[in-house]
Amino acid sequence: MSNGTVSVELDGPNGRPSKSTVNGRPPAPNTQKSLQEASSVQKQQEVHFKASHGIIVAFFTLLLILHVLGIYLFTSGFLLTRLVLEHKSDCSVPPIALTGRYDAGSADQGCWHPKTFNKAVVLIVDALRYDFTVPYRPEDYDKQPHHFHNAFPILHTTSSKQPQNAFLRPFIADPPTTTLQRLKGLTTGTLPTFIDAGSNFAGTAIDEDNLVAQLRNANKRIVHLGDDTWHALFPDYFDPELTHPYDSFNVWDLHTVDNGVIEHLLPLLNPSNTSKWDVIFGHFLGVDHAGHRYGPDHPAMTAKLNQMDSVFRQVIDLLDEDTLLVVMGDHGMDAKGDHGGESDDEIQAALWMYSKRAAFGRTSPAYIQPPAHAKERPVAQIDLVPTLSLLLGMPIPFNNLGAPIEEAFIGSNGKDIENLALVNRLTGAQIHRYQREYARAQNLDATIQSPTLALWSTANEKFQDLQATKATKAEQWQNVFEAFSSYQQQNLSVCRSLWARFDLINIALGIAILISSFGLLLVYARSMHKDRADLTPVIFTRGALGVIMGLALGTGSTYVVTPDRLVPFSAFGAAMGGALGMASGLWSVRVALVSILPRDFWGWLAVVFTILPCIGFASNSYTIWEDEILLFFLSTFGILTLVSSLRQPVPSVRWLGCYHSIIFVLLTRVASLSRLCREEQMPFCKSTYYASATSSTSAPWQLLIPFFVAIILPDVLKAFYKSTESYHETAPFAVGFAYRMGLFLVAVFWTMDAADDGDWLAHVQNPTLQSLHGTSFLKDTRMRIAQLVLAVAFIGGYATYYYAKPMLSISATPRPTSSTSTASLSISSSNVVTTTPTSAITVHGYANVHGTRYLLLPLLWSLAATLAAKPMGTGALALCLWQILSLLEILAANPHLGSASSSSIGPIVLALLGSFHYFKTGHQASLASIQWESAFIPFKTVTYPGGPAMVALNTCGPQILCAVAVPALGLWKKAPKPGRRLRAEGKGKGKGEREGEEEGDEEGSAGMDLGYLGEVAGAAATHLLYYAAVNLATTMWAAHLRRHLMLYRIFSPRFMLGAVVLLVVDVVVAWVAMGGMRWSVLSVAEVFGWS
Amino acid sequence: MSTKTVGKATAVGPILGPVEIRPTDAARLYTHVHPMLLLAGYFFQFRSIVADPVLALTSGLLPLSVLQISYLITCLPVAGTGSTAASLRQGQRKKTGAGKNELNLGDRIVPALISFVLSFAFGAPVIAILLVLLGAPFTTHQAHTLLCAAHMSLLITSPLVYVHGVDAGTWQEIVALQAPLDDVFGSAIGTLAGAWLGAIPIPLDWDREWQKWPVTIVTGAYLGCVAGKLAGTYLFKGSRIKLS
Repeated sequence: MSNGTVSVELDGPNGRPSKSTVNGRPPAPNTQKSLQEASSVQKQQEVHFKASHGIIVAFFTLLLILHVLGIYLFTSGFLLTRLVLEHKSDCSVPPIALTGRYDAGSADQGCWHPKTFNKAVVLIVDALRYDFTVPYRPEDYDKQPHHFHNAFPILHTTSSKQPQNAFLRPFIADPPTTTLQRLKGLTTGTLPTFIDAGSNFAGTAIDEDNLVAQLRNANKRIVHLGDDTWHALFPDYFDPELTHPYDSFNVWDLHTVDNGVIEHLLPLLNPSNTSKWDVIFGHFLGVDHAGHRYGPDHPAMTAKLNQMDSVFRQVIDLLDEDTLLVVMGDHGMDAKGDHGGESDDEIQAALWMYSKRAAFGRTSPAYIQPPAHAKERPVAQIDLVPTLSLLLGMPIPFNNLGAPIEEAFIGSNGKDIENLALVNRLTGAQIHRYQREYARAQNLDATIQSPTLALWSTANEKFQDLQATKATKAEQWQNVFEAFSSYQQQNLSVCRSLWARFDLINIALGIAILISSFGLLLVYARSMHKDRADLTPVIFTRGALGVIMGLALGTGSTYVVTPDRLVPFSAFGAAMGGALGMASGLWSVRVALVSILPRDFWGWLAVVFTILPCIGFASNSYTIWEDEILLFFLSTFGILTLVSSLRQPVPSVRWLGCYHSIIFVLLTRVASLSRLCREEQMPFCKSTYYASATSSTSAPWQLLIPFFVAIILPDVLKAFYKSTESYHETAPFAVGFAYRMGLFLVAVFWTMDAADDGDWLAHVQNPTLQSLHGTSFLKDTRMRIAQLVLAVAFIGGYATYYYAKPMLSISATPRPTSSTSTASLSISSSNVVTTTPTSAITVHGYANVHGTRYLLLPLLWSLAATLAAKPMGTGALALCLWQILSLLEILAANPHLGSASSSSIGPIVLALLGSFHYFKTGHQASLASIQWESAFIPFKTVTYPGGPAMVALNTCGPQILCAVAVPALGLWKKAPKPGRRLRAEGKGKGKGEREGEEEGDEEGSAGMDLGYLGEVAGAAATHLLYYAAVNLATTMWAAHLRRHLMLYRIFSPRFMLGAVVLLVVDVVVAWVAMGGMRWSVLSVAEVFGWS
Repeated sequence: MSTKTVGKATAVGPILGPVEIRPTDAARLYTHVHPMLLLAGYFFQFRSIVADPVLALTSGLLPLSVLQISYLITCLPVAGTGSTAASLRQGQRKKTGAGKNELNLGDRIVPALISFVLSFAFGAPVIAILLVLLGAPFTTHQAHTLLCAAHMSLLITSPLVYVHGVDAGTWQEIVALQAPLDDVFGSAIGTLAGAWLGAIPIPLDWDREWQKWPVTIVTGAYLGCVAGKLAGTYLFKGSRIKLS
């Protein structure tokens, strides 16, 4: 007899005559009373289950709240965001009324202020550190000159010898000192933050107002030469004929970019060609590459700097009077020649401006000699933006925070303080306008603004006074200049503190919450040896009370101690109160707690699988290669379960375990072929998720994958159902028909999507189809299909899940006179009236009644997730579902792995599986890999909250699917009723018997039948433990490595991924998985009753 | 990885007993010399393996084979002559085996050669498949992976075949890791564990030549083999790996 079937020697109707599908003899009259009693006991049990279930869902919700608070607090201290305003400065709209002498609006004369130059050559020497440009001084820390000293004297020579033609100053970068971030600062005039929350979140193109955009708006012909990063930031801004970008990637190549720039730059400066362009941006990379490759103190650096020196001498010779020459470094380099961080050497670049005309002056004769080192008279890099804008007659970009550089406006005699005051007034006014719009857009706290507002009005008053007086003196202008200048400085420091500083207190509070909630979860998941369903109420109640008391206490304390931290302290109080409350709840049930340490090999394996990645997240390499590490772990697990399965004494169980272990490993490896490589994985990785590494559309052959999935996957599921003879009742309809149809629709959707992308309709022969070309037929139809799939999944799926009966089929045979069936199982429940046995019936699908019934829930979520994934992703998700089922079978075949209450390996491997398939559905731990376009799968326009929900389903689809499957770990191949010792005769009943024994321990203490609730809660908590551990680790590493060079590229994105996934899985576990389990258990209890 | 071990054999299932090395002075001496020779030989070749893995691992197969063959015929009992239960079971089938514990040199060389053929024909492909399943590339570097598997197979399979024969039941027990720890099984487990651990340094961005495939795996395998042999001989002899 097969595993799925059980023969019951039925002694009477099964508790509920009305519901029973069993035809027994009608109960004798004297049994009616006991039937009623039994029925009321059943009712009580059901109420008890519902109450316990509700409390467990509430408990997981409380954990979710703790996680939200912890992540919120940490994030508020760590990821400082800045709103990107769409406003652009307009040539004809000055930020403040101009003085009578000048009219705004003419780009030829200068928009807001008379311009000084018509043309400009802006040359960036990547990583030009300030001390490369000034003469070596023996009194410095260095005993003797290095290779980078005295090799590039032209900048210093010109500015000290011809101070009216040139000046050289230290040029301080705002970290992160990476070229892309620096170019943003150098063109927008604003400060870098991790998230610039704007409309163009995904792309790299700058959508804020900036100098290059202003030049283009004024119809200037802009030429770019060199580093191609510019083209990512300013796509299509440059003159296509004269522009020559070069790949910036190969740091081993010192010369290609530089030679290319020189080759194209010098001819353009020739008088015959100067009419072809207005502004040239040139970007040399050789110095930076020499630094990366050899470090600054190397002869190659000397050679490179000498080359730069001679290039600029040639440029100076060719320059005409009307052209401004700017040479600068975008950042410096550290002692090893690298950059990205915020050490002095990395942020100290050089800025040099030159003109053939006498255009520059000094406010003091002492300033004629360029500063000897970078600490002396530095200018901020953002100061370049207003300076260059006003010199070229452009409006100052809307979001600029920098100030005009005084040398450029003081006049060649150094006396034109009026001009300097006027440009500072303009700049200050633009900053003021920006701050007003920013505050309006974000409802910024007025208290932050107040000191700067006071400075602003003071400066304005001074200016008004000056206007009123007839004969103005230089001192008055000096006062006005200083007033506007101090407004700008004050404002900059406020913005810096808002946008570019870590709030260590909030970071610490957030981490404290995450640590305590992790500890609680760990104890709850791993150290309870009594039924969690009985212990949860006290933990939850005290936790909830704690939240309320903590909230009150936290809020109250802010009034007493620190009124400016109301929100953080309230959040911290609530979270810590909740944590302490739960801890006291756990303390009160401490007799039910045992050590959290694993008790067997598999427990330790689960710990290793969790801890190793957590340690690895401290290293950028292991973070980059997480996908391969997960493959390694999952395959290791499958191989070890193969070994374990071989040890099983019963041959059928042994080979089943081996079979599914092999399937599990093979599917893991097949799934691993779907990859979307992140930049850092190059060149050791080949992307296969899309048609090519540079495309984001699927190859034609990939469109077949969803069809294969639709054909094969339902049959695979059917085989799992059939193996326990559970393919009855709703199963053929739900799995064999509805699920398959849904998958076919998904396949059709992606085909139509590809047809739309590839414009297939234009090329088909069929006239009917071709007539649809150019219409929105494809877009509309596929959108309807997507909506239909979602309706099938969520409306149809949940309705089916809610109403379905257990997948059982019962056949009756005349009762044999003797027990011939070796596998017959005698269930003589105490609340069932015993009458004379009349027939023997066979219940098909008995062995896995809970598992097969519950599986409908993961299936409907898998359909929805499949729609959100792209063609390659549908394959990965199908493999994921198959692997989940194989895992369930492996656990069932290996008793010591199988019991969710005793071993953590099942839930942890499920979490590994979810994380693994995250990478296999075309994602990486980087912002760039978010598939934003999935928001438009079922919608035409941006729709809230549907659009973001689809993006979430696309991003976290595998983790969601695995989290929904968690209760199946506690339900798969479990007998209908827990908490009672099943007496099985003969072999073939191995599972029922085993579970019966394991439950036996808890029988006495529980007393009530709660339908595996406690076990499932344990599995769910263990599953969360993995994500909570990853979140905690990535959070702490991100905080610890907040000065690390790779923070923005690697550690921050991984922290964000960990936080998002934890919250999503929290929600899914609490409300979808644990919440949904209710109906599955109730429907099984409907048939089999409560114990 | 933590592997709990318990005392002597459990009641059901496993029937293999620990392998005892041959009771000769040469065996007692060479069983200590062999691991040193293995490691010394490997690290002598290490530079050339890093420089050109395919060439060096190919040319390394011969010295490794010589070392292993000398180890097999000097130290280990041929299947069916030792004291293990399976070999007794086999021995009963063989006419030559029963009662006769000492075979002459010629009779020992033939099983050694057979175990080598089987190591190459079956052991190496199976280990190569395992390597691929665990993430080894299979569209490129096939020669590297196969050679890595061949080295591992010589360390793992050849001694196991030599002392335990090819009985299916015995091998099920071995693959289920139910055999008792001893010189041979210890080194096999050690080789596998060492190779597993050898994967750990590969992703690091240290840009070292030795991080290339499959240098760390082979290194881990050799180190693990020696460590496992020592552990199997001295620490855990006779105990069994418990997976529950």
